[in-house]
Amino acid sequence: MADNVSSKRAAGAQRPAEISTFSFALIVSIPVLLFLLIVVAYPLAYAFYLSFNEIRFFGGYSADWVGFQNYAKVFYDQSFWSSLSKTFRFTIETVILTLGVGLGLALILKHLPGKWRWLRALIILPWAVSPYGAGIFFAYLGRGQTGVGTAVAAMFGSSQTINLISARFVIEYLAVGAAWNMAPLVAFFLLANMLTTPQRLYDLAKIDRMSRLETFWHVTLPPLRFTIFVFTCITTVLAMKTFDYIFTETQGGPGGASSVLTYTLYKISFVNLDLGYGAAMSFFLLAVILVSTGILYFLWGRKEERQ
Amino acid sequence: MIGRTRTIWLVLAVAVALLWTFLPMYWTVKYAFMTKTEIARFPPMLFPHQPNLASFFNIFGFDYTAQDGTVYKASGQARQIMLGLRNSLLVAAIVTAITTVVVVPLAYVFARLEFPLKGKLLAAILLSVSLPPVSTLIPFYTLYVQLGLTGTMTGLIIVTLTITIPIVAWMLIGFFRNLPPVELLARVDGFSRLYVLTRIIVPMASSGIMVAAVIAFLFSWNEYVYAQILVTGSNAVTLPAAMSGFLFQVPEPAQLAASLLLSLLPPFVIAFFLQKHIAEMNFA
Repeated sequence: MADNVSSKRAAGAQRPAEISTFSFALIVSIPVLLFLLIVVAYPLAYAFYLSFNEIRFFGGYSADWVGFQNYAKVFYDQSFWSSLSKTFRFTIETVILTLGVGLGLALILKHLPGKWRWLRALIILPWAVSPYGAGIFFAYLGRGQTGVGTAVAAMFGSSQTINLISARFVIEYLAVGAAWNMAPLVAFFLLANMLTTPQRLYDLAKIDRMSRLETFWHVTLPPLRFTIFVFTCITTVLAMKTFDYIFTETQGGPGGASSVLTYTLYKISFVNLDLGYGAAMSFFLLAVILVSTGILYFLWGRKEERQ
Repeated sequence: MIGRTRTIWLVLAVAVALLWTFLPMYWTVKYAFMTKTEIARFPPMLFPHQPNLASFFNIFGFDYTAQDGTVYKASGQARQIMLGLRNSLLVAAIVTAITTVVVVPLAYVFARLEFPLKGKLLAAILLSVSLPPVSTLIPFYTLYVQLGLTGTMTGLIIVTLTITIPIVAWMLIGFFRNLPPVELLARVDGFSRLYVLTRIIVPMASSGIMVAAVIAFLFSWNEYVYAQILVTGSNAVTLPAAMSGFLFQVPEPAQLAASLLLSLLPPFVIAFFLQKHIAEMNFA
């Protein structure tokens, strides 16, 4: 990078040739932003173009301009609305479980005495598992034929098949697996926060005869709020975007019960090859993600930042 | 007395945490050491009764003869698995290096300096975090077909960078914000911006940067959606894409579990040794 070389020379010279904050910021960020712009904006623009066309593959490739028809069709598509509600259900449950389990793990890790510290290195491991790997793990763990439910029932002498991936609760089961995957990272960031809370505050809480719960609520929790907010946003975005995890775990099943928006999109674009319609729907997904994080920021994030 | 009940609760809590952590992994990983008949047994077995390493031999392209004389044939996917292992390591290493080098100054600038357009530029970065891969897959694919980048590692590296750079930048900006404001002093002392960044900020933020690198590595190593479409079946196949053959084409739970275990080793080693740096990531 030429910019890099010239500024290095400037640093080495006796009289550094100073540059303004703005140009320093530009030099650092413009190449990256340009890269992102080209590599992200082009596909986005192309998807935008697709969304106004009907793409056909049968009898030769053809693209017919249909205006807003694809977008209008999304509104009347029953499967879009049911997928959207599944996405919300999955996302909300994943966020709550991830942060809840993350907080629980962080509290456990915090109270570990010195010679047990190495356990921390074990608790982090699920985070290193890929989403498709986590999907495979929870698929075998939950299915009636192979799963832990049936094995436990067998231990008690029952020969019943216990299927955890049922049409009724498959979204909940998926959320548990997603939380398993993500919670350790949350736990570690929360732990980092907790360790900076001075012991003095806990001593004061004891003098005030606060109960365990009060101490947790008034001493432990307040410094964690910003981290909790950040991870609520990150988990929301990741849960709404997730595809490979659901693809390897349930393939949208049983019977479409876990066909969240990303999975419905995959079916429209890659199985039905209805590219124009898929592109139009994917912009709805993008809008949903952006609006959700926007709402989180305006209702919660601004308050945390002001403090 | 109070001390003892506390210890009991703590031991219980740790036991639950360990069960939560390892049961889902163990349940599949045990297949790697089991035979097909053992896997198909109902009710499911809790552990392999005669553990064997057949599937590990098979995925690397070797036949395995068990003690009772049964021969487990080498997997037809062995070549893909080995290619995948090499390519995944290569792609992840390159992506990690580029992401770290590019994102550290970027995050520093956004976290610590004030300049015009900052809010808008930051919003652009965050927008790319929100892009679902499913919606950019088709456009990427058509673009890559035109540029001849399908089935190449270069193509995969470029796509992966569009995932890692924004999300790592997002995390590091939060981290840089909380470092003590020493650079003003250094600037008063007459050090250049680059000197401040490389000699003062980077060493101070070393654990944050280490974590950023780990996150970039994991995202790249674990990337499956793009790899499945862009490089499956080619010489640039990555481990996740190669493995999916055991999942979908001919289901081979034992070999799937063996290759999954293989794919978990590098990230586990990294997470295991770098976790103490993650415990230093402080946002607030």
